[in-house]
Amino acid sequence: MTLAAPAEAFTHLHVASSYSLRYGTATPRALAARAADLGMPALALTDRDGLYGAFKHVKACAEAGIKPLLGVDLPLLTADPTATIPRPGRVTLLAVGRQGWASLCRLVTAAHAVPTAAARAADDDVPAVTPELVAEHAAGLIVLLGPASDVGRAVAARRRDQARRRLDGWRSLGCEAVVEIVDHLEHRSTVNAVRLAELARDTGTAAVLANAVRYLDPADSPAAQVLDAARNLVPLGSPRLVAHNGRAYLAGPADMTRVAERVTAAMTGPGGRSADARGAARLLADTAELALRCTLDPAGDLGVGAHHLPETQGDVGEQQRALRARCEHAILAGRYRTAHPSARPGIGRPRAARNARDRLEHELAIIDATGMAPYFLTVADVADRVRAAGIRCAIRGSGAGSFVNHLLGISAIDPLEHDLLMERFLTPVRATLPDIDLDVESARRLDAYRIIFDAYGAERTACVSMMETYRARSAIRDVAAAMSLPPDEIGAIAKAFPHIRAKHITAALGELPELRRSRVNTEQLSTIFNIAEQLDGLPRHVAMHPCGVLLSDRTLLDRTAVQASAEGFPLSHLDKDDAEIAGVIKLDVLGVRMQSAMAHTLAEIERTTAERIDIDAMPRDDEPTYAMIGRSDTLGCFQIESPGQRELVKKMAPRDIADLIVDISLFRPGPVNSDMITPFLRARHGLAEPRYPDEKLRAALQETGGVVVFHEQVLRIIDVLTGCGLAEADLVRRHLSTPGGPERTAPWFRAKADIRGFDPETIERVWEVVSAFGGFGFCKAHAAAFAIPVYQSAWLKRHHPAAFYAGVLTHDPGMYPKRVIIGDARLSGVQVLPIDVNASSGEWRTEQAEQAEQTPAGDPGPDDRRPARWAIRLPGRRDDHRAAGRGAPPAIRCSLREVKGISDAEVERVVSGQPYASLRDFWDRARVSRPVVERLALIGAFDSLYPPAPPAPLAPSAPLAPPAPLAPSAPSAPSAPLATAPTRRDLLARVGVLARQAASARQGTSQALDLFVGADPADGMADLVPAGELRELDLAERVEAELEILGFDVSQHVIDFYADLLAGLDVVRSADLDRCRNGEMILVAGAKVATQTPAVRSGQRIIFASLDDAVGLVDLAFFESVQDRCAARLFGSWLLLVRGRVRRAGAGPMAVTVNATECWDIPALEEIRRGPGGLAAVQAALATGHDLQTGPQPAGTPDPAAPGNLITPADPDPERNRDRDNESARPLVFANGFALSPYAETGAPGGSLKTPPRTLWHASPGSTITPK
Amino acid sequence: MARLYGEPVEVQTGEDGLPASFGWRRRRYAVRAVQEYWLVNRDWWRESNPVPARPELEYWRVEASAGQGRPAGIYELRRDVAAEVWTLRRVED
Repeated sequence: MTLAAPAEAFTHLHVASSYSLRYGTATPRALAARAADLGMPALALTDRDGLYGAFKHVKACAEAGIKPLLGVDLPLLTADPTATIPRPGRVTLLAVGRQGWASLCRLVTAAHAVPTAAARAADDDVPAVTPELVAEHAAGLIVLLGPASDVGRAVAARRRDQARRRLDGWRSLGCEAVVEIVDHLEHRSTVNAVRLAELARDTGTAAVLANAVRYLDPADSPAAQVLDAARNLVPLGSPRLVAHNGRAYLAGPADMTRVAERVTAAMTGPGGRSADARGAARLLADTAELALRCTLDPAGDLGVGAHHLPETQGDVGEQQRALRARCEHAILAGRYRTAHPSARPGIGRPRAARNARDRLEHELAIIDATGMAPYFLTVADVADRVRAAGIRCAIRGSGAGSFVNHLLGISAIDPLEHDLLMERFLTPVRATLPDIDLDVESARRLDAYRIIFDAYGAERTACVSMMETYRARSAIRDVAAAMSLPPDEIGAIAKAFPHIRAKHITAALGELPELRRSRVNTEQLSTIFNIAEQLDGLPRHVAMHPCGVLLSDRTLLDRTAVQASAEGFPLSHLDKDDAEIAGVIKLDVLGVRMQSAMAHTLAEIERTTAERIDIDAMPRDDEPTYAMIGRSDTLGCFQIESPGQRELVKKMAPRDIADLIVDISLFRPGPVNSDMITPFLRARHGLAEPRYPDEKLRAALQETGGVVVFHEQVLRIIDVLTGCGLAEADLVRRHLSTPGGPERTAPWFRAKADIRGFDPETIERVWEVVSAFGGFGFCKAHAAAFAIPVYQSAWLKRHHPAAFYAGVLTHDPGMYPKRVIIGDARLSGVQVLPIDVNASSGEWRTEQAEQAEQTPAGDPGPDDRRPARWAIRLPGRRDDHRAAGRGAPPAIRCSLREVKGISDAEVERVVSGQPYASLRDFWDRARVSRPVVERLALIGAFDSLYPPAPPAPLAPSAPLAPPAPLAPSAPSAPSAPLATAPTRRDLLARVGVLARQAASARQGTSQALDLFVGADPADGMADLVPAGELRELDLAERVEAELEILGFDVSQHVIDFYADLLAGLDVVRSADLDRCRNGEMILVAGAKVATQTPAVRSGQRIIFASLDDAVGLVDLAFFESVQDRCAARLFGSWLLLVRGRVRRAGAGPMAVTVNATECWDIPALEEIRRGPGGLAAVQAALATGHDLQTGPQPAGTPDPAAPGNLITPADPDPERNRDRDNESARPLVFANGFALSPYAETGAPGGSLKTPPRTLWHASPGSTITPK
Repeated sequence: MARLYGEPVEVQTGEDGLPASFGWRRRRYAVRAVQEYWLVNRDWWRESNPVPARPELEYWRVEASAGQGRPAGIYELRRDVAAEVWTLRRVED
């Protein structure tokens, strides 16, 4: 051992990164980069409780040019019965070599299986080890015993005898124990470090110096302090928290030498004071030596760069032969789509078969060269097993470009039909593992997982984990809670922000109008925001990845630690990127709600008509389906129901699957922003000739009118120009999307194209297209995989609307609230039946309606008095649906699960007990909790038992007035006809009686029950609460109860309560927009059903919103220029009146949107209308609304001098934009000039729109008819 | 017997950064030895100001006396790093 270890060779052996959840603040990348800057040769990562950061550390070290060490820091459960120290402490383990890494993985897995009191208390997975457990995995592990260890704690407690015993205990168990000296300059920490060093010396134990690092710089310690508070769920200042002083940072060699000298200088006894300089050098040398021993070789020790594929189906040669045999058999049997004439127009049978065989040979050559045959067989096996269990399963992603996948039955897409490339999926020149993604029914995703785990065994399979990280809202919540703000206030502050990154908080406060003017923009909160920004992106919770499953050979558990997920699955500490680095195959099994919705639809069709539809095998050329899509009648359909997509499909009018593939690919930020859509549409509608940079590129670009849409086209273009082959071209394409990639590629591209005889002008033109395309565009195979469920869902909507809506409403796959889908069902001629305790089940079901539905609630009758545009009726817009749906039941019955608060067990009991004869019968047998029974009564679920009189007509003085429940001015209908049937309020009272009887029965006084023995069950309650005793709910009260209990309005559309107001203002209905002139200024109104802030070309934030006005949707755009006055109201209100300009756009079929200039809250306007000024006052309010200075602005007028207003969102001075500090959330600008607003694609502020807000239209006093 | 003070003191530091002497209640105390030195973050979350870049407080436990021949006592000094303010925390004699 050398005593003259150079100081700069110091290596940190005990380092926590941000993957020590809510503990460390530095990413592995930042730590490795800093270590390299400090001249350190290596760096350990010893995260707390897990190995989540291990492969990120390995990668970061490789990038920083230093060597990695790996370990873990685990809580200790001491088995020592004489322990007098309450907290048993923690121990750090370091891995030596391949054996050490395997031991580490297995030990961490075992530690997570140890049940601890902390885990039980916190409902969290807290690992723990005993010395005995560590000893079981001692091979290749170094046990570091520092100040937090059982030994260190005994030393601190001045129990030297106990410390010595414990140290001996570790060694006698066979562990290689090393004492870890740490001095953070805390109170008494130096003296404790000295005593620990003396113990090591006196017992002949090796000692090393470390700094128990948890952040980069001393200034990071407040953030770490907040994390301690958040992790322990206590406020800052709590005595449960340890003191901080900023010393747990990644200290440099000189600082660490000082620590060594400080500690060794204070040592006493033999070798003490007299030899302090030598003591420090020895400590540092021993540290360097241990670091050297623990240095890991990524390839040799961790298996990086190798592929560890399942070995369940024989060796590679056997698997290759098996794969070939299966594929050849499929070709012979004609099990591929282009074997059928409809899928290959213009190609004869022999030619198709030859194409198939050629393609198979081509792909098998690639698969053999990459050694991936086991992978294909494994995925095919998984897909087979999943389908055998009756679970719908479809491929997604680039794997659809493989013909082998199609032949194996994994994919329903024949790449030969759609001209897809294998090379986009897998090439021999790319070392990375391919991704095959399977979409399964969301409701049965975990079933699919179980099938995989059962088939491959726990030693080969685990779920991929993922980290939930701090974003603006979560960071603000945790920081504010640590700083003891009241919970209500914390919620209000957090919800004021859209779903943005935490590091954009300050920038957002200055830049977003709805925040700039809000009360959260104050100095008092600035500390919270500052620290919240420091938490940006830190992992806070480990969760199961929504789809990733690892499939490997039987050594998987030597290469990753696993813990139990909340769902009970083994959860790997590898995330999806780590799996790639670790060479473990990942299969994505994604739960897709639309697959569940379609499965339910198909089951309903089969249940009611006995017709069994094989939707995957059917032709994909149904004209009525495409006609429906072209009308943008696509609500509920997969992928094409959003406002933007409805506009695009209307302009494009797709005619076949190829068109749908283009549509899906175009509706992406890249194509939208490179303005590829307009030239495409012009070419498509014959308004412009397609232009090709060179005639040789016609074949590649013809399908999209000369516009580059697909990755596959880029591959072909590069191949045509350079002759490099498609595999190489895919590498080039990937390279193009890296920073600086285009510049590095250009010389090669030009030289190659020049050799092949292209003239410089053409080369430049093509290069421009190729380089600008960069990472944009879309994998065509992926789009093709998406296009299938798009078509299938549209076909089902077109031909089996009732079953389709039942499926969509049961599994809720889309972006809209259910009330929009219900409205769409009605417009399609499907009657929506309310919940009925005798007819409803746990799912939405199709039914045969008994009678024609009354005029849909949204449509005023033909005899309506109002001449306004608001009164316009739909002219049978969807008659074709009814014709097409002949034989299919035209009604759907609402599911019991829609009732707020009902449990799965209650749903099951209700359904198994059907039918019920009376309320009492239901109460006795269904045993549903009282609040849920009351809710059922309020929404009329017992109406079939107690047929009600027609809904009470409203008082003529207030036709369709907003709800004024219990108001004496709205008297109920005459009570005479109601005498025989109890009202819903009567039923509510009877529920109360039943509950009281049940309570007294439990207390043994069952007197009350005896009264009804033998009585008619349907009638048993009449004496206690006579029918008609209480007034029936009026229409407004019913709708209010429905919104509260179900989240959607059944009896009448909520907007119709404002019909007088809206008619008086001459508001235009959505169905009527087609007739408005381009540029016309109009008013529209409705319930807000969607807001989106997608990426747009200019980098502006444009807010798109959709309003449901009972006859359809109005799509609105709010540009930045109006957001200052509109954003707060737009995000804060539910029922909106909007003024705006009609915009008709598109080459070919027009799509209509409204560019909003102003918006108002409808209930607020109604308030004015019902005041003394009437409608005139409303009109006056609207007129002044333009004027910011005098308008009724709730937040006051903006002060131009206020700090938040100094940076305006539309800053005209680009220089100033550039000079803004780094914290500014500036638009991301791409090479082709496309700028992306940092606020694009983020969820809106406020709560979710999927359910209506709790405080709805009118907070009418006394409207608490709903049981809470 | 320990007494708590919390009174501001004026401290002179040596070239090594250690406190060399301090003035308290019109007397000058010479530091004979530093017994202990440690750091703790201040309670920055209780303050309305933005958190300083260095929120540490330095604690020095020193042996000091008010002149030759005077009995030495143990004095605990605290330095607010950001504000450069010294406080006498406690005295043991």
